[in-house]
Amino acid sequence: MVNPPILVLILAGARSDRLHALGRLRTASALPYGGKYRVIDFALSNCVHSGLYRIGVLTQYAPLSLHGHIGIGRAWDLDRRDGGVRLLPAYARQRGTNWYRGTADALVQNRNVIEDAQARHILVLSGDLVAKINFGPILDRHEQRGAALTIVTVPAPSGAGEWRRPVLSEPGGRVTAIPDRAADVGAPVSSSVFLFRARELRARLDRPDVGPDLMRDVVEPMLAEGQPVYAHPFDGYWRQIASIDAYYEASMELLAPYPALNLHDPDWLIFTPSEDRAPAIVAGDGDPAGCLMAHGCRIEGTVRRSILFPGVHVAAGAVVEDSIVMHDARVLGGARVTRAIVDKGVRIGEGASVGGGEGPPNRDYPEDLAAGLALIGKGAEVPAGGRIGANTLVDIGARESDFPARELGAGSVVRARGGRRA
Amino acid sequence: MTAAVTYAMILAGGLGSRLCLLSEKRAKPAVPFGGKYRIIDFTLSNAVNSGIFDIGILTQYRPLSLRDHIATGRPWDLDRKRGGVELLQPFQGWRENDWYRGTADAVWQNWLEVEERGAEHLLVLSGDHVYRMDYRPLVEAHLARGAEATVATFEVPREQASAFGVVRVDGAGWITGFLEKPKDPPSGKISMGVYVFHCGVLREALEKDAGRTSAHDFGKDILPALVERGRVLAYPVPGYWQDIGTLDSYYQANLDLLSPEPAFPLEDPRWPIFTPSTENPPARLGPRAQVRASIVTHGTIVNGTVERSILFPGVVVEEGAVVRDSIVMGDSWIGPRAVLDRAILDKRVHVGRGAVVGRGDVAPPNRVCPEHLSSGITIVGKHARVPEGVAIGRNARIAPDVTEEDFPGGDVPSGEALERPGGVPAHAASGA
Repeated sequence: MVNPPILVLILAGARSDRLHALGRLRTASALPYGGKYRVIDFALSNCVHSGLYRIGVLTQYAPLSLHGHIGIGRAWDLDRRDGGVRLLPAYARQRGTNWYRGTADALVQNRNVIEDAQARHILVLSGDLVAKINFGPILDRHEQRGAALTIVTVPAPSGAGEWRRPVLSEPGGRVTAIPDRAADVGAPVSSSVFLFRARELRARLDRPDVGPDLMRDVVEPMLAEGQPVYAHPFDGYWRQIASIDAYYEASMELLAPYPALNLHDPDWLIFTPSEDRAPAIVAGDGDPAGCLMAHGCRIEGTVRRSILFPGVHVAAGAVVEDSIVMHDARVLGGARVTRAIVDKGVRIGEGASVGGGEGPPNRDYPEDLAAGLALIGKGAEVPAGGRIGANTLVDIGARESDFPARELGAGSVVRARGGRRA
Repeated sequence: MTAAVTYAMILAGGLGSRLCLLSEKRAKPAVPFGGKYRIIDFTLSNAVNSGIFDIGILTQYRPLSLRDHIATGRPWDLDRKRGGVELLQPFQGWRENDWYRGTADAVWQNWLEVEERGAEHLLVLSGDHVYRMDYRPLVEAHLARGAEATVATFEVPREQASAFGVVRVDGAGWITGFLEKPKDPPSGKISMGVYVFHCGVLREALEKDAGRTSAHDFGKDILPALVERGRVLAYPVPGYWQDIGTLDSYYQANLDLLSPEPAFPLEDPRWPIFTPSTENPPARLGPRAQVRASIVTHGTIVNGTVERSILFPGVVVEEGAVVRDSIVMGDSWIGPRAVLDRAILDKRVHVGRGAVVGRGDVAPPNRVCPEHLSSGITIVGKHARVPEGVAIGRNARIAPDVTEEDFPGGDVPSGEALERPGGVPAHAASGA
């Protein structure tokens, strides 16, 4: 894929307000996923499997976990002399400091990167996608059609996801409209993967009046001007991690008997920096089934239908069901974790019970925490014997003293006093 | 690391004939261990955790898998501008021009490496032991006592000591006798194969030994000679140390990892064991999987039952299959309703549906290697294919690369050795 050269820009800087405690210390792109990955591993691995080795990752909100994760790109063979991966955080300039005000503005502020690359095409994609996409055929088609822009589309997500604007096109693929209303139920939607011909994108970004939003201020004007904009349907597994529910569902889908997203496919492995951990050990009466289990886990209790990240310890007598438990979290003896997302380093005290049952939506975030999940923020400590119902949120770094009561009904919120952060 | 010792040599050349099939196509230090490691990882990790980042590995027998494993040394942070890791194989030179005649000869033939570094003391390690050890206190003791050589020692039950070099120590800690594999060991104090030498003294001893008719071996020749000079210190090391000398000790050391409170926990954040990680997703346990007291690595898929076993990366245990008291190496496939019982499977073994590996009660020792395969373990070589429904007894040995056609009679009785037609087991041929 040396000719024509392609520059990839991964948008990974946006704050995901709907992720709450999961997304306060990291962007959706940096979310741990699938037992050992972070979400952005999919974008990066897709690129290298597609032969695209010139990549910029645009970061802004809470970038440290992402920067540490990507490093010089060794895990993806992106520590290269020619190309490789570059982290592109917003930075201060002589004429004022400018945060990225939006997706298009982030591109504008990296115009020099785009110019230096001298690429013929620029692939712009969102870093919060979970999908295995081969960009090769998309590029080929893009070239053949002489497209100024190819929008990769996916079938409109069913279920309760966010509403997305449909991308309407002629039978030949030429996009006719991207209506702003729910006019065409069932029409495909944008996958947040855009392939631009560099000339047209640069011309657009060079305009002094270009707005901050990629869809509204770049894509739509190109369409309005009659430039050749095409839709390229992608019908494989595709999820965008924009909410707690979307994250939970996309995670649990990995546990299906024949998951739509096969992480074991030797031809399209997802790369990630490996940690130096010993293999998982099932000890004593440990009994795990129906789960993904990473290195460093120690399982002495029962685990069903769950995803366990490296270093999770489930002590004797503890039960973990239908849950996501991240790095080094400990579920102590006799504790029970049901339908919960347990962030890194959490400690679930002995005999405690987290999640499960039903109840009203979360008191403070009824929109985002209503499906029955309990969310335990990074480094929080759930006291021994504590009981926490469904749709509850325990703040990052909350301690025993932060719990107003031993028993908290569905929809409760536990705040960490003093703004403590793990 | 104390500046006096900055360079270590690891002896990794030996033919591990007592590991039977496992070491026929790889050097013993390259034998897989503990779910994701190879035996040499323990020594290499000990070295870098002790601050030694300049290492020579002396190899001779089947170095390819070791070479692939070590590569540039990146997992150990040994891909460095200064120092790093180097595999020292026999070479042709104007003076020395031969295979290594023994461990001492291997070091002697590479003496230039030692000299170039200008170090005053040299750490010599062995690549086939499982243990955690900080070499710094050893070196400090060596320097503080002004020893010419210091030997790390370990206590084993006296009846087991005859497999090792046994040391006699005086009240002040000086070694007064060094007996290599004595028939009637005076004590259980054995050499761990971890030495610090004063380079000048070692050079002299190696040079003298090179010109003599001897085994050119550290344990048999060099240490006894140095002990006579009276300045060889014993440095006792507590804790866990396991020589992977035999198939039985290999099997036991692996299964020891599964005890509720293992004497040697693989996971220790203060002293991690490094190894190249394979690109594999987390282990996937199906809804009907039953996994008890086992080690499970990335890339494995379990839909059957696994008890007291160790699964290496990429192993698949299909539905209804049972893996019990077994060690299954990378990318092996255990078909539906197949059974493994006290079996060691090398990499990429294919066990057809309903086949049994390890059937029966008491069993005669193996016909081909009776002294190494008599405790009931059945071993299957790399890339072998066990046909559907076939039963293999205990103490049996299935050669690498056999296919379904090589099982003309169907079942393989206990104590039997199944070879490829025309294939001769390497160590049987060499008489080892």
